[in-house]
Amino acid sequence: MAKQPILKVTDIRKQYDDGFEAVKGISFAVAKGEVFGILGPNGAGKTTTLEMIEGLRSITSGSVELDGLNVQKRPREVKERIGIQLQSSAFFPTLNLIELLGLFNALYAQHTDPMTLLREVDLEDKAKSTAKELSGGQRQRFSIATTLVNKPVAIFLDEPTTGLDPQARRNLWGLIRQIQHKGTTVILTTHYMEEAQVLCDRVAIMDEGQIIALDTPDHLIQALLNRGFKPHTKVQAATLEDVFIDLTGKELRD
Amino acid sequence: MVPTSRQRQLAALRGLTVASLKMYFRNRSAMFFSLFFPIMFIVIFGLLFQNTTSSFKIDITNRSNTELSKQFESALKKIPAFKVKSVSEEQAAKDLNKNDTDLAVTIPPEFGQIRDGRPAPTAVIARYNEARPQNGQAAGQIIQQLAGRFNDQITGAPQIVTVEAKGVKTKNLSYIDFLLPGMVALSIMQLGIFSVAFGFISYKTTGMLRRLQATPIHPGNFLAAQGMTRLVMAVVQTILLAGIGVWFFGFHLSPASWLPFLVLALIGSAVFMAIGFAIAGWAKNEDQAAPVAQIIQFPMMFLSGTFFPRDSFPPTLQYITDYLPLTYLADALRHVANDGASLWVIRDDLLGLIVWGIISSYAAIRLFRWE
Repeated sequence: MAKQPILKVTDIRKQYDDGFEAVKGISFAVAKGEVFGILGPNGAGKTTTLEMIEGLRSITSGSVELDGLNVQKRPREVKERIGIQLQSSAFFPTLNLIELLGLFNALYAQHTDPMTLLREVDLEDKAKSTAKELSGGQRQRFSIATTLVNKPVAIFLDEPTTGLDPQARRNLWGLIRQIQHKGTTVILTTHYMEEAQVLCDRVAIMDEGQIIALDTPDHLIQALLNRGFKPHTKVQAATLEDVFIDLTGKELRD
Repeated sequence: MVPTSRQRQLAALRGLTVASLKMYFRNRSAMFFSLFFPIMFIVIFGLLFQNTTSSFKIDITNRSNTELSKQFESALKKIPAFKVKSVSEEQAAKDLNKNDTDLAVTIPPEFGQIRDGRPAPTAVIARYNEARPQNGQAAGQIIQQLAGRFNDQITGAPQIVTVEAKGVKTKNLSYIDFLLPGMVALSIMQLGIFSVAFGFISYKTTGMLRRLQATPIHPGNFLAAQGMTRLVMAVVQTILLAGIGVWFFGFHLSPASWLPFLVLALIGSAVFMAIGFAIAGWAKNEDQAAPVAQIIQFPMMFLSGTFFPRDSFPPTLQYITDYLPLTYLADALRHVANDGASLWVIRDDLLGLIVWGIISSYAAIRLFRWE
């Protein structure tokens, strides 16, 4: 990595009160402007890892440094610099999107124009709707908009595309890339490999609380092939998803 | 200029309070329970009891046919506070049983009969329903006065029979003067316990609390914003209820008493919010909170003298209910409204409320959990 790391995770562990060790000592660094993916099956410890980095969950041992700040020692300052999207995005009912963004502005002591943010996530025409009235894809886009209020150096997205249809997923990929192009680091979790391959500069694959592989998607694939891997099925030039997108079009349905 | 950390937190607090107020006013069920419901109650009770307390229903059975008995009967009918019906003795007994009358007066046959040149001493029998002693006794006293005047008249003193209701009623207060402070106290309790407990738990269960945790806001500011919203609501609610009472139903609240009345509402609101936060902080979800909230507020609703006075309770129960937070609040509000008491005069009630506030706040802090 040529660029300086924005996030440095050193040997973090998480042991819950009942003795269960969800994260068993992992280390990695993320460079400024990177899209970094944490992959893994359900229960691998992705969300716990993310929440420890964000300062939402206590760290049993190890350390996290974000933008030069120790997360354990200065959680509030770290939260001022990052944007967090949680897996389940609930928003206050009865407030419209403009008012919600106004609230987030207040929470971060910021004055970011809500309409600009909504334009960024393509939700201008929903300005007066409540979060409840949005479709799944729209709600995820709005949720990302709330993470951008404080012009963060890094945003954390926990399974941003889970439950979305292929069109909405592709649309969200576009949005994430757009955010990356503006210089914001993106750290996300997913269990869609295709998504990781398309979006992420580098990925860490987690299983049972440990990182079992960490590299660029291309390198990981090459390494597998070098080990003599042969796919079970005949390699086709297109996937069923390509067929689906071809037939139903790329336009959003929400 | 980069805002200081303190300025940031203040801005966050303001933003959250404004947002929380907006949500509150847009939440139909919250508005129903905190504004519409108590107002409806006041209106219904106000209309129902508008006249009954200032007038007594009297059944009269005149079994005598002397001139004096007729005078007595018509004198009774002239008393403005009385609604007198001439009925048979059987009908009077029925009315008493059905609570259709406050007092059944029987004039015995020998009333006003002349014996040895003087009217014979006779007793007018007045019976009242023991289930509703207040009205019966009050009416009985008026009749006794009337009888006294009659005696004077008979013994020769020239006096025109006029009996006024004033002597009996210590103050010109009506049921609304009793009910309204009770309703204000009850609404404050419900606002505190229910709206705080359930509002807060919904933040917990929907994950909104967690989303707020992901921002730099201090948790204390979040609680403060919730509290401020409820305090604003408590003032709005109290002004509306008292205002409707004063304008439409003759509730007595002197201009000078408005301020202590509202201050009390605020203090009471803070105490019950602390109870609400204790429940909400402890409970994981609505199912855990609901029974606890009910167990706390339901008995108080009936035992704290909100709808009817505690005078009729057995002494032990009176003694116990003396110490309920809602009793302190209702009594203090009533004292301020009915007697124009200052906050200093009701300091004992205030002290009781403050002790409850401290206990509940302590419980809220000890029991709190984010998830």
